[in-house]
Amino acid sequence: MSSATVRVRPSQAYRRRNVGVSSDIPLHLYGLRRRTINLATLACGLFTLFTLVPIWWIFVSSTKTATNVNATFGFWFAHPFVLWSNLKEVVSNREDGSYLQWLGNTAIYAAIGGVGATVLSAMAGYGFARFNFRGKNILFIAVMIALLIPIVAFAVPLYLVYAKVHLDSTMPAIFIPFMISPVSVYLMRVYAGGSVPRELIDAARVDGAGEARIFVRIAVPLMVPALATVFMLNVVSSWNNFFLPFIVNNSPKLYTLTQGLQVWFWHTNIAGTAENFTAITVAASMISITPLLLMFIVLQRYWRGGLLLGGLTG
Amino acid sequence: MSAGAGPNEVTVHPLCVGAKVTQVSVSEAQDHKVEPPPSVAAAEAARRRQLAFQRRRDRRGLLFVLPFFVIFLMFLVVPLAYSVYTSFFTTRMIGGTVFSGFSNYTQALSDGAFWTGMGRTFLFAAIQVPVMVVIATFFATIFDMGVARFGGAFRAVFFLPFAVPGVVATAMWGSMLQTRVGVFVRIFLDLGLPDPNFFGPGHLLGVIVVIAIWEWTGFTIILLYTALKSVPRDVVESAIVDGAAFSRIVTRIKLPIIRPAIVLVVIINVIGALQLFTEPYLLSPMAPNVSSNYTPTVYMYNEAFSAYAYDFAAAIAVVLAFIIIIISAAFLLSQRRKGALV
Repeated sequence: MSSATVRVRPSQAYRRRNVGVSSDIPLHLYGLRRRTINLATLACGLFTLFTLVPIWWIFVSSTKTATNVNATFGFWFAHPFVLWSNLKEVVSNREDGSYLQWLGNTAIYAAIGGVGATVLSAMAGYGFARFNFRGKNILFIAVMIALLIPIVAFAVPLYLVYAKVHLDSTMPAIFIPFMISPVSVYLMRVYAGGSVPRELIDAARVDGAGEARIFVRIAVPLMVPALATVFMLNVVSSWNNFFLPFIVNNSPKLYTLTQGLQVWFWHTNIAGTAENFTAITVAASMISITPLLLMFIVLQRYWRGGLLLGGLTG
Repeated sequence: MSAGAGPNEVTVHPLCVGAKVTQVSVSEAQDHKVEPPPSVAAAEAARRRQLAFQRRRDRRGLLFVLPFFVIFLMFLVVPLAYSVYTSFFTTRMIGGTVFSGFSNYTQALSDGAFWTGMGRTFLFAAIQVPVMVVIATFFATIFDMGVARFGGAFRAVFFLPFAVPGVVATAMWGSMLQTRVGVFVRIFLDLGLPDPNFFGPGHLLGVIVVIAIWEWTGFTIILLYTALKSVPRDVVESAIVDGAAFSRIVTRIKLPIIRPAIVLVVIINVIGALQLFTEPYLLSPMAPNVSSNYTPTVYMYNEAFSAYAYDFAAAIAVVLAFIIIIISAAFLLSQRRKGALV
């Protein structure tokens, strides 16, 4: 009887025996020639160039005057270095609503959307993984089908429903849809299934803990890597989303950054106003990508992209 | 779709739970004397009580999934249902809204403008997705096996575009490629070459492909890279011992093992590609070739918000969603039959 008390999950036992994965195998064992290594490095270098070219261009251009953006060589700095006045111009421009307001809106939407999606999917994933309630399979199949439903299918109808209940062009109308993330539910179910031992839950129940307490005190701490990944993923997708806010919101006061930038970018293409808008649109675009880049750097060690594919390593 | 039960999960039979509770208490009080075995009838009654208790407890699981499904129902299912509902009606200036059966659908399905855009979007997906997945698989393999120098730094750089909104990515590429003044165009002109006309009818789709590849390759690399990292070490080691060449290890061992990941990546990207909207829409002022029906989503948007034909737009959305779901489900099933576990 006692031999059955402690059950080690096969994955754990496996990992204990074979510490490390195939990635740890030293390269020389593959018997590659030096030339292959050089070619691979060269390929990486070329793709780096491709990746960095637009980012370099936007950085360089944000330091130029509006005329110089198109009149001077795009990949190098030109004489009046006006980065600071461009940034000031972005922050103070109020012609189409305030950039700072859009930045604040986007931060609110992304934070609420990210936290909401994480909480909802963590609860749902845990519920799916550790309880056998009636209708569970049907509900989970609904989540999986929702994975395949394109956002275009419900964006316009969502707007129409919002209009019916007078919710269009309000903040909740923009951030609540961000909280629905079927892929996060799926990921949380897989992760909770692999990382929250039933024995632990049962032991806590015997000790008299309620289900909510067990979830908060036992399950959530064990799911931290998945929580961090899901949070990052949803913050990024909310922050970068354009289509949904674009459809359901037409109040400039509630614009997301992407909505505001779209309007400014279109202005740059209208003869006459182009001159003024080119530089500040460029600078505004640069500001808009900075918070996410910072978040990546800060949260990098928590990022587990492989979780998305159901793997527990990574 | 049974992947919900994780591969490493040991399923505990419901009947074992009762036994385990006893075990816990026994192990907690090890110095106590072991009790004599209870009678069979008592054990049976205890088991039944345990089962009833378990069922009541399992019902509480519903409370955990409920919050998600409330929002899911209100903000996804209701609009979808409303979309299908609306698509069966037609609103006219005179006469108001009348039930019109499948007329919006027959109109959409026989609409040349819809199919032109659909064809273009298929072409886009057929180029963008394979090219990007091949590039991403190539780099993910290189990073995984440590072939390139400075792999970690390259990986971080490749991931950067994921932080850039599609709107900004399109604005950057659009500005760099725009006719006459874009930096790439000026390089052509300075070399005495003609303006390549990147937004011309022949190149525009290619430009959008490049933008999409720029946006999504890094993210795809990370997904595939982490999948590759979970390939067990001993499998590859024994292949090396057996004298397998590098290329064979990649094509015969590693990539087949991560096949489910590749399938999922392809599906995610196909779903995204067929909804193409942001890039062409944003480029439209500088690229007159972006027609009002350039992609089905652009068409739907214009029908809804320029022509105010919401019912027809809803029908387009439903048709497009159907096409996307059927394609991705068919792909999923075909891969499943081939043995990929999704």
